[in-house]
Amino acid sequence: MEDLSKLSLVEQINGLKSKKFSSIELTEFYLKRIDQEKVLNSFISLNENALKEAKKSDEKIAKNKSSSLEGIPIAHKDIFCIKDQKTTCGSKMLENFISPYSSTVYEKLSSSGTVNLGKTNMDEFAMGSSNETSFFGSVLNPIDPERVPGGSSGGSATAVAANLCSFATGTDTGGSIRQPAAFCGITGIKPTYGRVSRWGMIAFASSLDQGGIFAKNALDAALALENIAGFDEKDSTSINKKVPPFFNQAKSKDEEHVVGIPKKIIEDIKDDNVKNNFFESLDILKKSGVKVKEIDLKNIQYSLPVYYVIAPAECSANLSRYDGVRFGHRCENPKDLDDLYERSRAEGFGEEVKKRILIGTYCLSAGYYDAYYLKAQKIRNLIKQSFMDAFKEVSSIMMPTCANVSFKLNSIQNPVEMYEQDIYTIPANLAGLPAISIPSGKINKLPLGIQFIGNYLEEGNLLNLSNKFQQNSNFHNE
Amino acid sequence: MKISEEILNNISSLSKIKIDEKIKSDLIKDLESILKMVEEMNKIDTSGIEPMSHPLEEADNLRKDEATDEIKRDEYQKFAPQTDDGFYLTPKVIE
Repeated sequence: MEDLSKLSLVEQINGLKSKKFSSIELTEFYLKRIDQEKVLNSFISLNENALKEAKKSDEKIAKNKSSSLEGIPIAHKDIFCIKDQKTTCGSKMLENFISPYSSTVYEKLSSSGTVNLGKTNMDEFAMGSSNETSFFGSVLNPIDPERVPGGSSGGSATAVAANLCSFATGTDTGGSIRQPAAFCGITGIKPTYGRVSRWGMIAFASSLDQGGIFAKNALDAALALENIAGFDEKDSTSINKKVPPFFNQAKSKDEEHVVGIPKKIIEDIKDDNVKNNFFESLDILKKSGVKVKEIDLKNIQYSLPVYYVIAPAECSANLSRYDGVRFGHRCENPKDLDDLYERSRAEGFGEEVKKRILIGTYCLSAGYYDAYYLKAQKIRNLIKQSFMDAFKEVSSIMMPTCANVSFKLNSIQNPVEMYEQDIYTIPANLAGLPAISIPSGKINKLPLGIQFIGNYLEEGNLLNLSNKFQQNSNFHNE
Repeated sequence: MKISEEILNNISSLSKIKIDEKIKSDLIKDLESILKMVEEMNKIDTSGIEPMSHPLEEADNLRKDEATDEIKRDEYQKFAPQTDDGFYLTPKVIE
């Protein structure tokens, strides 16, 4: 039998429909792969009912009652709550937390017929760019196991890259889908803020967090995204707009593109390999008939400092719910209420999470609020304005996804150096814009990605552009 | 910005996170390096600019003010560290 795990999502759907193979066979294939690749540490927990779900899908397919993704085995980042299943968010704080309800993203994919294989490893509370902050250990990059897969959604990226699932869900607060997608040589899309419901997705920084998809290519990503996007009354920041058929839009020949090249950002790329790769990728686009135009993106260089005020500030507020009283880790023998709070949180959170809570608390504390938080919010407005000015002239903006290829485990100890990993991905989160990373080549066998950032709600346009690139290149199949 | 031990103790207390004495000096170094990077923001004049708290201008989809069955006390208390008769237990607060 052919290796089913190597088929694209579209090929798998067709194979299941035409009964070339069953969902049980496909699921067994992946479960075997997951077992073979245990060393990668991609999963925190496996779904013991996966084969039962596959059986149900096979029954529906037999009765011609299948939904759009019927029988497709997928993985969920362990930040999405699933009823009666462990949801840890990569933290000791939630090591034994069994969710009493399910996230909208899970519910939507479940009703689309997907089979849940399990929950993927991640940086603790999605705070990290290497997957090294997980309480459950680092995830290894399947291309070179001495290197990191990127983060925070490192488990999902690895699972897709190593053919351990058909596609996977992820979240992106400052690059947590796009950077690991680039490091692992796959496609990752972060939609417009508000396009995908945050209900049941454990909060890190609420004005930046957005759920999205890891897939083998842009068409697979389009099809998966179509199934998780849409208005949700349970999320007050959900956008009440119709979701276009992303898959058809991605394949359409009518979509028009003018790709903006932010001149100064590209000139300032430090790594020559990354810079050369950018221009080679640009040539591929030009050859496929896409127009390009140089643009000026003012104030983008302030994205990193702005992000490291806003994200920690929001995280310090969001993570105050972990108090050792209602759920999560509780210390032994607390002597009073303060001791209960202070030790439960000190023991339950890892070092990176604590650092960010402390920074956020500092920036929001009396006497510092205006100088840090308010200042950051004002610059955030200027950054958004720069994008809006650019989108008057272009339909999308092209940048590298990362400043470098994947680095070796434990090689970055300085926090600021680690934060700089997200230098090209953070701007889209600050403005709330959709962005996608696709593979664009390799340096010494290690993948690089390029990123397209689109205007609000223009995911379809980005997927179309990415598909165009992938039709004229083969990096996504290497 | 220099972070004194006094400031560290204050934010530790505000955020209810106990900090081990042994790691304080390393933690201060890390926090200072993050703040130094953050202070790059001071290079830009923001007078007259409105602060932006959220990417969406119209994010106010409040649901109808109707009772739902979302709050299921018994079910939610199953995973609480310590409860008694529907109450969450903590160490004694009032003597």
